[in-house]
Amino acid sequence: MKRSLLAVCFLLALAAPLRAEALAPQSVSVPFDLLITKHIVVQIKINGKGPYRVIFDTGAPVSLVNTKTAAAAGILTKNASQTAFSLFGPVAPTTITTLEIGDLKAQSVPVVVMDHPTVGIISKVLGPVEGIIGFPFFARYKMTLDYQAKRMTFAPNGFEPTDVLQTLVTSLMAREAPILEPIAPAALWGFTLADKHDDERAGVTVQEVRLQGAAAKGGLRAGDRLLSLDGRWTDSVADCYRAAASVKPGTKVPLVVDRQGKQIEVLVEPAPGL
Amino acid sequence: MRMAAVFLISLSLAPPLGADQMKPVPTRTYQVPYRLTSTNHVLVRVKINGKGPYHFILDTGAPTLFVSTAVCRKLGIEPDKKGWGTFGQFAIEGGVALDNVRGRVEDPFQLEGMNGLGLAGTELHGVIGYSVLARFQLEFDFTKDKMGWTPLDFDPPMPQGLDGEAVTGMSALGGIMKLLGAVLGKNPEQPILLRGYFGMSLEDGDHAVRVKGVLTGSPADTAGLRPGDAIRQFQGKAVRSVNDIRRLAAKLAPDQFATLQIVRDGQTQILDIKAGKGL
Repeated sequence: MKRSLLAVCFLLALAAPLRAEALAPQSVSVPFDLLITKHIVVQIKINGKGPYRVIFDTGAPVSLVNTKTAAAAGILTKNASQTAFSLFGPVAPTTITTLEIGDLKAQSVPVVVMDHPTVGIISKVLGPVEGIIGFPFFARYKMTLDYQAKRMTFAPNGFEPTDVLQTLVTSLMAREAPILEPIAPAALWGFTLADKHDDERAGVTVQEVRLQGAAAKGGLRAGDRLLSLDGRWTDSVADCYRAAASVKPGTKVPLVVDRQGKQIEVLVEPAPGL
Repeated sequence: MRMAAVFLISLSLAPPLGADQMKPVPTRTYQVPYRLTSTNHVLVRVKINGKGPYHFILDTGAPTLFVSTAVCRKLGIEPDKKGWGTFGQFAIEGGVALDNVRGRVEDPFQLEGMNGLGLAGTELHGVIGYSVLARFQLEFDFTKDKMGWTPLDFDPPMPQGLDGEAVTGMSALGGIMKLLGAVLGKNPEQPILLRGYFGMSLEDGDHAVRVKGVLTGSPADTAGLRPGDAIRQFQGKAVRSVNDIRRLAAKLAPDQFATLQIVRDGQTQILDIKAGKGL
C-alpha cells in the first residue's frame, strides 16, 4: 500500500540536501525561448555536457531529466535499489554537480531521472526537450520572470527549499490528522473580531477596539468592516490572524476598512506582546 | 468561434495584440501575498466577480488560466462550446485587477489529484498560467512573504494546443488520486486553530520580560497583571525575551490557561491568565 501510494504521488525523492551557493549575490540574466504551447525553454549544461533544451516550470515541485540525457551526461545512478517504480516508469533521484543555465552556475542540484509523458509529447511535436527545471532549482534565487523580454534574472537569496517528497510521505502516511499549530499574530493589535456566520460580504467586523491599544491609536473603530490588513484580504477571522502573523511588531501597516459605506485606510503599528 | 480561430492560428510570430495602441502603463509594482503549499507550489488568492477568495497555483507550465468547474458553477460562469469562460473581474490579492480574463473551465488532473489526496494542505481552485502571468514582470523570492508583480505593456498572444496529441491516461490520474484520497479519508482543507489572546504588551528585560502595558478589559487585565510586572516564568519555563513567551504560548488556544511567575515590588507571585479571543 505504501509503495503504490508513493508511486501515485509523483514519487520523486530529492537526493542530497542543498548546499549554500558559492555565487556572488549579484543577479545573472538568462534569456529564454517560448514554445508555441507557451512553455518556457532554456538551454542547460549538466556537469559540462550539453547544451540540452529543458522546460522551465514554476509549477513543477521537482526538476527532472529524461533517461537518455541522464545517461549521456553521466548522472544516471547505477544503483538499482535507488530506482523506485512510478506510473511513468522508473524514477531515480540523483544530483547534478554543476548545472549551468546561460551564465548561471549552480552546484549540487537535485533532480530525478524520469521519462515524463508530457515532456515526451512536446519533444515529439516541437523538437527535443530533455527535462524540466522546477522549484528545487529556482527557489534558491530571487528570480524575476519577464515573458515580454523573454528573460529571467537570478540572484542567490539563501533560501533552502524543503524536500517535497519527505513532506508528502509524512502527510500521506499520517493516520491521524496532523497536529496543527494555531495561527498566531506576531504582535499585539488590541482588537477583537465578531464571528462570521456564513456571510458572503467581503471582510470581517471589528467587535471591540481596546483603549490605548495599537489599533485604537491608529484609529480603528468597533463596527468597522476590516477588508484588508497589510495588503492581505481579511474575509474570515482566520484570514485576519494569518495576515497579522506576518506583521512584525513595530511595523506600521495599512488596514483598509469599510466604515459606514466609505472605504478608508488606517495605519496601525502593532506592539510587541500577545 | 472567433476564440477558436485565435486559438488555432499560429500566433507565435505575430506581434503582441494591441501593440499599436501603446498606452503609458503605470510602473507600480503590486506586492502580492503568496504562500507555498506543502507540495512547494506557489499559491495566490483570487476573487472572481467579488466572490472568493479562491486558491490558484502559479504555473509557467500551464498555457493559460484554468478555473475549476465547481467554482465556475458556483459563480454561474458558463463555458462556451470549446470550454472557455470569461471572468469579468479577476482580482489577485495585493491589488492586481484584471477585466474580462479568458480561461479554461476545466479541472486539470494535477489539481484533482492534489485535492483528492489533500496534498497541498488546502483546497486548490485553479491554475494561473502564461496568458495571465505574461502580462507582468514577476519577482519570486521565497525569503520574502510577498511577490512583486509589475504590469507590462504586453498583451500576450494565445497559446496553441498540441493538436491530436493527448497525454493518454494522464487525465485518469486525477480520478485515481481522488479515489485514493477518499479511501484514506484525506480532506483538502485542514481545520483552523487560532492562538489565544492576553492583551499584554511586553519588552525584553535583563533577567525577565517586562510588562509594558495591559489593555483595559483584556484577559491579562482581568487576571490582575499590571504594567511594570516582571515575568520570570511562563508555563513553568524561565523566559528572558518576548520571543520566549511567544514560543511557549504558540499552542495556547482561547479558554486555555497560561501560568505566569511574576515579580512585583520584590514579591514573587503566580498568575493564571485565561486566554481570550482577539489579537
